[in-house]
Amino acid sequence: MNQLVQRGLLISDFNLENLSAYLANNREPPLFRCEVAPYGQVTQTLLDSTLPCWNPPPDFTLVWTRPEAVLAGFREALNGDTVEEANLEREVDNYAETIARAGKLSKTIFVPTWNVPTMHLGHGLLDLAPGLGVSRLLMQANLRLLRSLSGIPNVVPLHASRWIEMVGEKAFNERLWHSGKIPFANEVFKIAAREIKAAIRGIGGGSRKLIVLDLDDTLWGGIVGEVGWQNLVLGGHDPMGEAFVEFQRGLKTLTKRGMLLAIASKNEETVALQAIDHHPEMVLRRGDFAAWRINWDDKARNIVELTKGLNLVLDSVVFIDDNQVERDRVRQALPEVLVPEWPVDARLYLRALCELDCFQQPLVTKEDRRRAEMYSQERQRTDSKAQASSVEEWLRTLQITVKVELLGASNIGRATQLLNKTNQMNLSTRRLTEQEFGEWASQPGHRSWVFSVSDRFGDSGLTGILSMAADGDNARIVDFVLSCRVMGRKVEETMLHWAVKWAQSSRLARVVADYSSTPKNAPCHAFFQGSGFDAGKDGRFTWDTVNPYALPDVIKLITPPEDAFDVVSGKPSAAEAGVPLVRD
Amino acid sequence: MMKPSKEQIAEVIYASIDGVNEMLAPDQWLEKSPQTVILKQGGGLDSLGFVNFVSLVEEKYFDRFGQRIILAQTNPPQNGRHPFQSVESLIEYLDSLSRL
Repeated sequence: MNQLVQRGLLISDFNLENLSAYLANNREPPLFRCEVAPYGQVTQTLLDSTLPCWNPPPDFTLVWTRPEAVLAGFREALNGDTVEEANLEREVDNYAETIARAGKLSKTIFVPTWNVPTMHLGHGLLDLAPGLGVSRLLMQANLRLLRSLSGIPNVVPLHASRWIEMVGEKAFNERLWHSGKIPFANEVFKIAAREIKAAIRGIGGGSRKLIVLDLDDTLWGGIVGEVGWQNLVLGGHDPMGEAFVEFQRGLKTLTKRGMLLAIASKNEETVALQAIDHHPEMVLRRGDFAAWRINWDDKARNIVELTKGLNLVLDSVVFIDDNQVERDRVRQALPEVLVPEWPVDARLYLRALCELDCFQQPLVTKEDRRRAEMYSQERQRTDSKAQASSVEEWLRTLQITVKVELLGASNIGRATQLLNKTNQMNLSTRRLTEQEFGEWASQPGHRSWVFSVSDRFGDSGLTGILSMAADGDNARIVDFVLSCRVMGRKVEETMLHWAVKWAQSSRLARVVADYSSTPKNAPCHAFFQGSGFDAGKDGRFTWDTVNPYALPDVIKLITPPEDAFDVVSGKPSAAEAGVPLVRD
Repeated sequence: MMKPSKEQIAEVIYASIDGVNEMLAPDQWLEKSPQTVILKQGGGLDSLGFVNFVSLVEEKYFDRFGQRIILAQTNPPQNGRHPFQSVESLIEYLDSLSRL
């Protein structure tokens, strides 16, 4: 993640200067500079796109309101009046519509959920009564707001109620409210600032992707090499054993959101794997781990190898170990790796995991849910590679199929996630919101395709993006993005084949790719250097479209219907250009 | 209830300064010293910073000594000095309150 200062706009009916200060003074990346819109003018600010605060568009906007300030019905309920729930829902819809309209003015809009002070006269037996209960109406309003905002890609609700709960009884501060129109204690704003930062990191692809775990006294209690797997503290009627099981469940949940788990443990591999395979209370089994290094080597070295083997980079790694010496060693050797302090008491492990704010992501795709399984398949591929006599032979045995589709409603969510998360095989490292990506791809002369890869071991899912722009006589590659999971399997060449084919069909003279260097995308440069494209000055690679770019013979390419292939405006159609729809 | 010492009162004020400094740029941080000016006229806190500071002192004073104090409307002279002129004058003022 770059260190550019991002600009935030804070809109509220109460004083958000303290939050602005916490956001600005927090030195964790990304750095923020925030502007607070005149308070109490929420609707005016959201509706008036000519206001200076919208120009240039903020990197993010926070719209945080009190329900009684924006919903007349809720104000009435706080005053003890009965409220028609349908009327309240209409008010919520109108409010959501106002936010949706502002969606085009900012890259991302955060909308914290509504809360009311814990001390108000509506609590008690009537609090959940229909039409009258303040807490009931609050729940309904929040749920309606979430429903109304869902489907707007760059509007992200935030669960402010959790911030309030975390702070507890001091979350609402009457002193600050009456003196400065600040309803919440500063502890609430500190948590909000941390979560907004984490959310921006997640949206920008800066979340951590791999958790490397120790085993003894981290995933289970005891030293497996000494006590044997049958005698480990894990599950059973034991407070510590239950705590280890809960911690494993927490890790398992993260795997379903796309996080990868790996093991770096000083143990005998066979002994440790026996415990993972056979202990009846293990939640995490062998298939849940993308890779492991179980040996007596330096853990820092093992982490480097694990990361490299998974085609990841060190700043995507979190290392969890109960041993202070190991944590210090990894911190010192690998400063990019996040090594959280870890509690001595195993009953606090799950809490420590929950407090890590480095796993945020704006959506969970089917690829995320299957990631651990995909890496398990990858291990099988690697094993098969060791048995093959050459890389070519190995690739042929994989029976790779690449399916290409035009960017569309069904795939833009995953494509945007891939665009923002991919660092290594990424030509321009362009970061866009879903809305920006969709708008870019729908402009005349612009095309974006997504590539899904599968082979005999399994389906790697949507793992590639190619975006092209007709630029004079050039077909310019704007995005050339490929997940590290499928790098080196001729998918890169397949994408170039497609790029050249589209340029030929559109009667463009050449395909150009302008490489933009980042600290992480050297693999992309190396690929283009060996791609056959002419390497020019300033990182430009060129292919003359007089020459076809061969489809690798180890790839079966499934292409889209001809209207999805499409060509630039005013040029012959794909069918006219003789582009086959399916080829082997 | 034990009457707090001036040192204990100073600790509450310094903890409040820590809280306020979290919201300030480093070049605006208040020093934890008796001579530190609190009010803006002398280069101290602006109005919002002052609101935060007063709230923190009130809260931390109660947490520490179990006694509620109200500083939000304080405006009496203290030996010719405003209580919020400096950390030292605030310590004196809080000490005088605790003797009431």
